[in-house]
Amino acid sequence: MILLPVLAGGCRKDPAVVQNDVDGPFLLELPQGFPSPPVPQQNPLTQASVKLGKALFFDPRLSLDGTISCASCHLPDRAFSDTLALSRGVDELPGMRNAPSLGNVAYHDALFRDGGVDDLERQVIAPVQDPVEMAHSLQAAVEAVSEDADHQRLSRIAYGRGLDGFVITRAIASYERTLISGWSRYDRYRAGETSALTGSEVNGLQLFNSAALNCSACHSGFDLSDHSYQNVGQYMSYADPGRERITLDPQDNGKFKVPSLRNVALTGPYMHDGALATLSEVIDHFASGGLQHPQRSPLMTNFALSAQEKSDLIAFLHALTDERSLDQVP
Amino acid sequence: MKLAARRFPIPFMFVLLVACGPDEPVEPTPTPTTTTGQLKVIVRPTWNGAPFVMNTVYHNVSDYRVKVEGLKFYLGDVRLVNGSSSSVVKDVEFFDLAHNGDTVLWTGVPTGTWNGMQLGFGVPQTLNDADPIVYPPGHPLDLARGTYWTWATAYRFLQFDGRYDLNGASTGAPASPFSMHTGLNACYQQFDLALNGEVTITAGNTSTIVLDLAVDGFFHTDSDTLDLATENQTHGTDLPLAQKLTNNAVHSFSAE
Repeated sequence: MILLPVLAGGCRKDPAVVQNDVDGPFLLELPQGFPSPPVPQQNPLTQASVKLGKALFFDPRLSLDGTISCASCHLPDRAFSDTLALSRGVDELPGMRNAPSLGNVAYHDALFRDGGVDDLERQVIAPVQDPVEMAHSLQAAVEAVSEDADHQRLSRIAYGRGLDGFVITRAIASYERTLISGWSRYDRYRAGETSALTGSEVNGLQLFNSAALNCSACHSGFDLSDHSYQNVGQYMSYADPGRERITLDPQDNGKFKVPSLRNVALTGPYMHDGALATLSEVIDHFASGGLQHPQRSPLMTNFALSAQEKSDLIAFLHALTDERSLDQVP
Repeated sequence: MKLAARRFPIPFMFVLLVACGPDEPVEPTPTPTTTTGQLKVIVRPTWNGAPFVMNTVYHNVSDYRVKVEGLKFYLGDVRLVNGSSSSVVKDVEFFDLAHNGDTVLWTGVPTGTWNGMQLGFGVPQTLNDADPIVYPPGHPLDLARGTYWTWATAYRFLQFDGRYDLNGASTGAPASPFSMHTGLNACYQQFDLALNGEVTITAGNTSTIVLDLAVDGFFHTDSDTLDLATENQTHGTDLPLAQKLTNNAVHSFSAE
């Protein structure tokens, strides 16, 4: 009889892993017409993993000097992109490329503007260890955040283990998969709410889809991107080889992943290097057809717009802004 | 029971019988038979046949003054061979010549007599493409080694860094940096080495293979020269240079 309470106590769950409000699967809210994003079987979305991922996403202790978090360059109110052409890492060091929006990143089959990383889990390692971003080692980053009791609690609930590199990469990837955007006025218009767009915006939409402008040749589908790699004739000689860096194929020189246009009014400056500050400058570039780079996409053809048409097109692009936060995590 | 009596001394048998009782048959645990041995692999760098010393100024084949400041590399899918038979002894190993050489000890090496090796310079594709987070501390592919190209999700197979001076007659420390890091699956190169004689792996014992690495050979082969004047930087972008350096490195190995 004396032994029984001891046994009962021994079998009781660790207080740190007692079920609570963060237990259970995370139910992703999807806009109308959006397919379910691929989620790795080994890293299912759970309340705990997503909540931990969000906490880590905003945790600057992942960086060497404790000043830079993922959110430092992926600003929530900018559709998780940056306002700087090149983001600043530790010691104000400039990054290599313009930080892209993370909206709908769950649907990307390759990450970064050159598509060099195949999954969100491995993508997490890159900014942590990049010497001009967080400049940390993953192991040191783990040690820096391991003192956080709430992180540890969520880690045990989500993954049945304490914080380590495996957990950090999985949790942040899980949070990033929840950053879904598809509730813009454009979406409401497509769903049949004709009053959701103004006349000017409708004109802009028609221009966007026109054969003359051909925007929708690449900016297509529910994410307004086919996620292909295109050279848009921005330079005759690219300092950044783009996709060629990954494939080592000279045919891919200067090619970068076509960005989604969702929230595009929030995600400037534009292009892989943030060289174009405004949507007006971007439209001017595409209207010019770009420079005659050998690998320039054949889809790049010049076109002319009146001032009103350009204004309409910009108005339409503003209508792609998601009025609600992309962040689904309370 | 006769078998048990032959294997265990009588006092030990008594203890077993008392502990288990008469109704429980006693199955003696067979003594594990060791069928593998250990292999110590020593990488011994040289320069023109003499022991190589890191951070020393040498003259290379182009009569440039060269100071090597770092030399790290992976060998993958290492096999011992003898005629038509071969045996995998290591999936991947990391070598850092910071201390003018490196030594590793491989366990679980199949017994046998071998007269050659098959190796890959770099990380085999299946390992190179895998998620690096799964490798524990101390593993050759542990992220903490700093050999992983996060932007390409691939390992650097070779990190060859230092400084050079095109004027072979000058004095002082060479100032111009060279930094050649090869990687990506296109740079993985398999090669064979004949052992100088044979190595025999016996159960429970340690045998040794010395891999001589002629660092001066990184700048040339019999048919090609790597000219530091124009070929001094590659970090995944200059595939021809990376492959030339890989080929030079592979031809710089010999085994004892």
